[in-house]
Amino acid sequence: MLEILLNHYPVLIKGLTTTLVVSLSAIALGLVLGILLAFGLTSQSRLVRWPCGLYRSFWRGTPILLQLLLVYYLLPEIGIEVAPITAAILTLTLNTAAFQSEIFRSGIAHIPAGQIEAARMAGISAWQTRRRIVMPQVFRLTLPPLTNEIITILKNSSLVSVIAVTELMRVSEQIASRTFQPLETYLAAAVLYLAVNLVLARISAHLERRMAGGLATE
Amino acid sequence: MPTADTIAPRAIVEAHGISKRFGDLEVLSDIDFRLDSSEVVCVIGPSGSGKSTLLRCLAFLEPYDNGSVYIDGQLLGYDQRGGMRVRAGERRIDEVRAPVGMVFQHFHLWPHRTALENVTEALRLVNGLSRRDAEAEGMAMLERVGLAERAGHFPESLSGGQKQRVAIARALAMKPRVMLFDEPTSALDPELVGEVLDVMKQLAADGMTMVIVTHEMGFAANVSNRVVFMDQGQVVESGPPSILFRQPRSARLKQFLNTWRERHID
Repeated sequence: MLEILLNHYPVLIKGLTTTLVVSLSAIALGLVLGILLAFGLTSQSRLVRWPCGLYRSFWRGTPILLQLLLVYYLLPEIGIEVAPITAAILTLTLNTAAFQSEIFRSGIAHIPAGQIEAARMAGISAWQTRRRIVMPQVFRLTLPPLTNEIITILKNSSLVSVIAVTELMRVSEQIASRTFQPLETYLAAAVLYLAVNLVLARISAHLERRMAGGLATE
Repeated sequence: MPTADTIAPRAIVEAHGISKRFGDLEVLSDIDFRLDSSEVVCVIGPSGSGKSTLLRCLAFLEPYDNGSVYIDGQLLGYDQRGGMRVRAGERRIDEVRAPVGMVFQHFHLWPHRTALENVTEALRLVNGLSRRDAEAEGMAMLERVGLAERAGHFPESLSGGQKQRVAIARALAMKPRVMLFDEPTSALDPELVGEVLDVMKQLAADGMTMVIVTHEMGFAANVSNRVVFMDQGQVVESGPPSILFRQPRSARLKQFLNTWRERHID
């Protein structure tokens, strides 16, 4: 395994970089979309809630591998030519947005309604209330499940190898077939995935400790 | 149907025939309520009598079904459009209820903000004050409720009484002309009730117009100009505390006061 890492580290690092670019972009974009969807899911208007719920159910209820293939083949059909990596980021974004929206929705539901009423009585607008009162608390509350989702996306990004994105998984397959050492190669890839995810988990735990103050609900 | 023109100029809050249902349950039926400048009105009554709902309707935290609530002569919560009544937009509601401050039973401080930040948040977001001006103003408000030295504390490290005083300071910061208190001491340990009532007494002495839903009969008797007794969604009796407490006319108020006395005097 060490031998594989030492002999093939330039391609492995390149694959890992692509993995990170794909998954981290999807997570960041999915965060924005996920927050908006969570607002939609918690909206008072059924007309807003319903389509957001439908979106969430579709992307949460179908396999990610299938979603990748659908996006990859659908885009050219409707006249949009994109590189595989773009299709990969797009799919993972749309997928993680559904899961993140559900995480944020449950976080929003945990904020006592009275806090929002207090903000409204102080004249703070609905948007400012979301931005300044609700979401800062939601981020703290949902950091553990959010970390889970980030790690899940990072691992699921291995699936984008099926649409010919040369990320860590695909690079490993290539090395395995060239060296005839599949076990060692895949072990090396596993170590790299694990290393990144351990770092992410450590960052999350650190943030959680730092933000612990001022969260007790009354 | 009364209009803004018929309202005497000094009424800050005026409600005409408001009613409210939760499903099949009528929680408010045909309530009239009037609050003049510098008046302190206590609303008493058994639990479930609709007193908190009335207060929430006066702030439109609970939309009333029929009737009208006027704040400073302006219809709260609804717009008249071509003879039809439609729910007003959030901005319009904010505008009309700007003179109203509210204090809740469970404080509802924002836990991720310090005591001072709880007070300055709206000063900055709504009034657009700079951080420095907002903090100076916020400190003055905390001073007023005797909590200047707790400015940097998060709500979790404050006692219930201190939290409620911060909540009062937060409402005061927006310079309300009327303050609504929804059972402000009901969630407090008995030994912490006094410090909150003291702040409220001081407010009353300073001429603040207040409506207080409370179970503190002593406070109602000593501080209010008028007491409103509610039962089963109706105003049963109202008048100066000296008369209402000594010579209750209705059987329901007599019974309510007797029950209270039995529990508090042995």
